[in-house]
Amino acid sequence: MRAISPITPPAGKRPLRCRIFDPFRETPLLAWLFGAGLAVLLEHLLGESFAALVGLAKVPVLFGLMIILSKPLLFPGALLYVAVIYLLPLVTVALLLARPANTAAAALLRLGPAVSVLFHLALFYAVLHFWAEISGYREMTVKFTLIAVLLTLSLNLINGYMGEFSCSHPGFMALGAYGASIFSLSLFVNDPLFGKALLPAFLGPWLFPLGLVGGGLLAALGALLIAIPSFKTRGDYLAIISLAFLFIVKSLLENLPFVGGPRGMGSQPDYASLPVVFAWTAMGVWIMNNYVRSTLGRSLNAIRDDEAAAEAMSVNTRHTKMTAFMFAAFWAGVAGGLFAHMMRFINPATFGVQRLAEMLAMVYFGGLNSVYGSIVGAVSLNLLGEVLRPLELFKWIFIPLLLILVMIFRPTGLLAFRDFDAVRLVQPRSRDRQGGAP
Amino acid sequence: MRKIPYLLLAALVAGMICSPLAWSKGKSIKIGINAPITGDNPKVGEGTKFAAEMWLADVTAAGGIEVGGSRYPVQLVIEDNEYKPESAVKATTKMIIEDEILVMVGPQASSQAVPAGGVADSYATPMISPWSTNPNTTKDRPYVFRGCFLDPFQGPVVANFIKGEFGAVKAAVLYDVAADYSKGLAEEFKKAWEGINGPGSVAAFESFTTKDTDFSSQLTKIKNSGAEVIFTPQYYSEVALIVPQARELGWDKPIVGSDSWGSADLIKLCGPACFGLYFSTHYAAAGAAGPTREFIDRYQAKYGYVPDDVAALTWDSLRIVQAAIEQTGKLSGKIENDRAAVRDAMAKIREFEGITGKMTFTEEGDPSKCAVIVRITDQGEFAFHKSVCP
Repeated sequence: MRAISPITPPAGKRPLRCRIFDPFRETPLLAWLFGAGLAVLLEHLLGESFAALVGLAKVPVLFGLMIILSKPLLFPGALLYVAVIYLLPLVTVALLLARPANTAAAALLRLGPAVSVLFHLALFYAVLHFWAEISGYREMTVKFTLIAVLLTLSLNLINGYMGEFSCSHPGFMALGAYGASIFSLSLFVNDPLFGKALLPAFLGPWLFPLGLVGGGLLAALGALLIAIPSFKTRGDYLAIISLAFLFIVKSLLENLPFVGGPRGMGSQPDYASLPVVFAWTAMGVWIMNNYVRSTLGRSLNAIRDDEAAAEAMSVNTRHTKMTAFMFAAFWAGVAGGLFAHMMRFINPATFGVQRLAEMLAMVYFGGLNSVYGSIVGAVSLNLLGEVLRPLELFKWIFIPLLLILVMIFRPTGLLAFRDFDAVRLVQPRSRDRQGGAP
Repeated sequence: MRKIPYLLLAALVAGMICSPLAWSKGKSIKIGINAPITGDNPKVGEGTKFAAEMWLADVTAAGGIEVGGSRYPVQLVIEDNEYKPESAVKATTKMIIEDEILVMVGPQASSQAVPAGGVADSYATPMISPWSTNPNTTKDRPYVFRGCFLDPFQGPVVANFIKGEFGAVKAAVLYDVAADYSKGLAEEFKKAWEGINGPGSVAAFESFTTKDTDFSSQLTKIKNSGAEVIFTPQYYSEVALIVPQARELGWDKPIVGSDSWGSADLIKLCGPACFGLYFSTHYAAAGAAGPTREFIDRYQAKYGYVPDDVAALTWDSLRIVQAAIEQTGKLSGKIENDRAAVRDAMAKIREFEGITGKMTFTEEGDPSKCAVIVRITDQGEFAFHKSVCP
């Protein structure tokens, strides 16, 4: 167990950042979640009337930023709303409930780390769910963001952990999207492309995971096809081969009439609800996080740093690379399946070079070789894309500019080289840890 | 230094006092415009935006839209869909839920209009896509309409025109297999032509893929097949390659096209080789009269070029929306009820006089309207030849 320095020097001489964050050093995640829960509850109860009071027409959808950018005069109202509805309860609970929350967190941890982590996850989902429930637009943004997290993390496995530059990810996503769509359109829906439904519609949501996994496996198969010829090459050559794969998938889909050709496929059943997307994303992040912390993941890093040395240290490089590639493609396929059932329309043009650029931006913005970074990159670029809508054309100047700045000042991304230790995240933070973590 | 927080607080309070000034007073009608301002096809977005702004200027000059005796000011909410399906879905959801628009006009291209139509229909918000030709956009969606005719209509129109004009028996088709528009229309034409002239009357059904530039093998096949006319539903840039190549190979029989030919750039690229050819489209700019002429002149004066069919169709769609809002007779102020009322009024529109022709919506929300056959004159202008009605 690591000791946390017990003495804090007198306030006043220390930088502002420390003075702001010091009081929260003993606040465990549990208390933050309770605070967020209270904030969301408050928004449900008082949000609308308080928004009217401070002169806003509606509850600010994404922390008031959109309002500030479109109508700068309303900024005091939006700021006040965020301060009173979000910040105030969050800070109050984080300070007041720190002690009891620490005791609770310790008790939870004694029941077993898995129980504690699942409890935190459930609490987090509850907060997210009630936050998203306020507006359909919020819910849609959350769903797109969660899917982007899955995609970014899976691409980070190859581009970050393995250190190769792969361009075929939209192709994998397309395979997953088409695979899952064919599954649900042919089985549960009367569709002009596939004829009458083969199974009763009520089974659909229950068998949907099978479709997703099927789509993921299809993508993994695609990854195997490209891995066999291309892993004799490295660097630029792999990038070019994987780019070629992306084009092959795209023009294949364009020329196959039974999946709609260039017109694409539409009216997939609406299976990708928020709980479904969240469950898959949480599972994907958990599994991929475990993967990179396992021996396989560590050997992936060894290969990235020096392939010959890794080989000499008994790493089976070919096997490791192949597994990682297929594993990443699987999750990209799952994300594609979720995407297809959320959009309820896919066409080959969706999975082109532009999508690749978006995915790469999220990976490199958030941070290479990093689970945290992938989450941060996907969330921040997705939210920025929505929040900056009022800037119209300047949005496409601002976001790339931000990327350039990140590349200059943090060449590996915002939060590079960080994995996730779920148990450390949920453990109590008190100095006098009577309960104590294991 | 210690005063800074107080100053901030004072500024905040002052802002609070002023902020009611920024409230939007009174009830206004919000119309959403979902257009590709950035992305692969910015020209489409530009035409949409310009037409919408011209319409807004007219409505504002008239003091707003008159419903049941009182005039409501109109606000346009223009969102960029980046020519991407997912952005179109995001923009649609944002406008419907956050901006509380009454009606949405757009998206233009089918790849965005199909998913956006699903969203609009699920939130029971009327939507009209001026330009989307894919049947799935409006299929089984009571709240979704469109402003143009569909491929299953245009195909037979061209087939009937060729039969009547040239009396041909055997026709050939040359189309891009990777473009959804071209492929759909080529198949519709084939069906219609074989319906008129019996099976086997399409002597050659030749394809190529996007960005091909050499069509000599397909054209030679067509020439040797005994076809009397070529139908090629391609975009103007490809037409400018196909037609001269056909002429070089000695093809002197007619070549007929579809509404994708209708761009001023066609003549610039194709030159005299295209003179005397025919194509079907939504409206003819040269020789237009009445309101159509007026629209073209105003647009040209304001933005410096002749409006293409996207702008004209957007203009008509906005005027249909305006007519539907006026016909509701009363706005209750409850957005859900008003949306339903506008939807019902829109479905009831009969014989609407648009600049691209008379429109009446069918059950599916598709207009049954006339197509125009345009002849390219020897001066390179698109002259009205005849109009074909369903």
